[in-house]
Amino acid sequence: MQASRARLFKEYKEVQREKTADPDIQLVCDDSNIFKWTALIKGPSETPYEGGVFQLAFSVPEQYPLQPPQVRFLTKIFHPNVHFKTGEICLDILKNAWSPAWTLQSVCRAIIALMAHPEPDSPLNCDSGNLLRSGDVRGYQSMARMYTRLAAMPKKG
Amino acid sequence: MDSEDDMHDANDIESLDDDFYSGETEDAPMDYYSDYDDDPDDYFDDADDSDRVESRRPEQNFTVLMEPDIRQRQEDDITRVSTVLSISQVAASILLRNYNWSVSKVHDAWFADEDQVRRTVGLLEKPVYENPNARELTCGICFEAYPPSRIQTASCGHPYCFSCWGGYIGTSINDGPGCLMLRCPDPSCDAAVDQDMINLLASDEDREKYDRYLLRSYIEDNKKTKWCPAPGCEYAVNFDAGSGNYDVSCLCSYSFCWNCTEEAHRPVDCGTVSKWILKNSAESENMNWILANSKPCPKCKRPIEKNQGCMHMTCTPPCKFEFCWLCLGTWSDHGERTGGFYACNRYEAAKQEGVYDETEKRREMAKNSLERYTHYYERWASNQSSRQKALADLHQMQTVHIEKLSDTQCQPESQLKFITEAWLQIVECRRVLKWTYAYGYYLPEHEHAKKQFFEYLQGEAESGLERLHQCAEKELQLFLNGDSPSREFNDFRTKLAGLTSVTRNYFENLVRALENGLCDVDSNGAASSKATLSKNAAGSSKGRGGRGKGAIRASISSRMADDNHWSCEQCTYANVRSATACQMCNQQRR
Repeated sequence: MQASRARLFKEYKEVQREKTADPDIQLVCDDSNIFKWTALIKGPSETPYEGGVFQLAFSVPEQYPLQPPQVRFLTKIFHPNVHFKTGEICLDILKNAWSPAWTLQSVCRAIIALMAHPEPDSPLNCDSGNLLRSGDVRGYQSMARMYTRLAAMPKKG
Repeated sequence: MDSEDDMHDANDIESLDDDFYSGETEDAPMDYYSDYDDDPDDYFDDADDSDRVESRRPEQNFTVLMEPDIRQRQEDDITRVSTVLSISQVAASILLRNYNWSVSKVHDAWFADEDQVRRTVGLLEKPVYENPNARELTCGICFEAYPPSRIQTASCGHPYCFSCWGGYIGTSINDGPGCLMLRCPDPSCDAAVDQDMINLLASDEDREKYDRYLLRSYIEDNKKTKWCPAPGCEYAVNFDAGSGNYDVSCLCSYSFCWNCTEEAHRPVDCGTVSKWILKNSAESENMNWILANSKPCPKCKRPIEKNQGCMHMTCTPPCKFEFCWLCLGTWSDHGERTGGFYACNRYEAAKQEGVYDETEKRREMAKNSLERYTHYYERWASNQSSRQKALADLHQMQTVHIEKLSDTQCQPESQLKFITEAWLQIVECRRVLKWTYAYGYYLPEHEHAKKQFFEYLQGEAESGLERLHQCAEKELQLFLNGDSPSREFNDFRTKLAGLTSVTRNYFENLVRALENGLCDVDSNGAASSKATLSKNAAGSSKGRGGRGKGAIRASISSRMADDNHWSCEQCTYANVRSATACQMCNQQRR
């Protein structure tokens, strides 16, 4: 418990110090609970998510960093490896390939990389995975783009 | 095998015994002697006897390993690799683990491309991460600063503090044997974490677990060794491939098949055994039962068993379809004009026109195939339990009775060895007999000659065994209960030893015949089947309950194997001839 708290505090200070280091990621700790974090990440360019801002919710276990944090999308996203309803993410480093050397910041970077390079062969969102697997890149991009517009972009006016 | 000499000793004693008692043998002609007249050169032929013992115990091609042996071997292998490659012991251990503990594979791979091997297993020659020569280093996990003395690194140089290493290693060890392949926590780094680091950084409990996993890995990842599958047994068996015999027996007295790790099942092959075991637990029997005893609801198709009541059936909710059990038509069509509510004219009329023949026949056949299976299963299972009982009796004999018997009969225990031998023979025969029932079940129906020959051999073996078992169980009881030396004891000895030998012979014939696929039938099928018939006619009916049923079974199966049907090899369901795949289990027709 103490170790995880200390480590999270270190990460918190690091985030405060280098707020502008990575303009694509904005990591915020819950005011009253250091085990709850949220992040705002920018959709990577040249993907259907470009221009969108996606919110992630982190729930950090007490065994952190020996155990990985639980992360899910709060913003709706159409992506093969993200559950369309719950926002759950299928990413190896959040499961068996976790290493204590990862940080919340680097997890965000890994999620951005996943958005740019989906893994349609282990889909949580089968519709999206099937579009890619059947080679319908246009269909996938159009759907993903539509949901980015609907859910991840500030409403005009 | 180190007991080669012992074996000859044992033979010598046996032959001494034979000579010693040969006088009595002639004085006491036993009823089973009449059997010998059939084939005089098969029994009690001394020259033959030694050969037979040899063939029963071919050169042992396996070694049972106890924990100290395993550790010794593991250490020897590690030392060999360590010496040849001039690397540390722990590095050699990592290499061997990555190459399934095959010393030769490690050598081949290493000398083919050392750099490549080093990269894949994570044995770095120099650090990839240069620690700045500062007074303080930052741990890569907790991000605290520590003096270098409190920082530890793998061969790569990535710095982590002792307590973070401890947590990292502990988590990995508690996740299972994957900890044997532990790498540096840095995601981009492949450097292996070796046993020296584990010993330095893990808790005592974790160290012990790691040690266990390492030992287990040596047996489980090695292609030549396996753990004895008996519950609670901690020995392993090292097997040298080569001969076709896969039966091995562990020091814990459990015999198993090296190939499939089911219990020993010679002469039946692994495929038949696994099919049989699957069948015993499989849904296919349920399916047969359902088919034989239920009808599907005409609307929702769920199977319905009619256990009592009238023909007016109401399916359970949500279906609630009301229908007639006989014709499966809707109940609303029924009434006075269809012959009342308790009989169904539509059914009777349609049955006469032959409309229902097909389905009724199917039901009948499913019933038959279930009966056939039950026949073999019952015999398989009863031999199994018989064997368990015999094992218990053997144990009782060895621990209690032999000693007592030695006192009451004033005989040295060495002279009572024939009793233990009889029981060992019984245990072994029960095992073989059990598996022949699985074999018999899968013997194709149409191979009449083979089937007849097989059933003859099985019947002979079984009746021999029954006599032996009876003698060892019941007749011995008289002497166990007595309290003074009995003059009949020597007669008993001759009888039991004789029965043991005869039974062994029967079973050897059976095993040999099954192992060569009953091919004798092809060459002299006519002769042997003729012999079968005459022997059957002459043979006693004692101990042949199974064979009597066999006749019934034959008539059932001939009904099944008529020209219009074929029996599925997997689930035995009798399909109509036109079907190309089994209607029950979808197995392709072969």
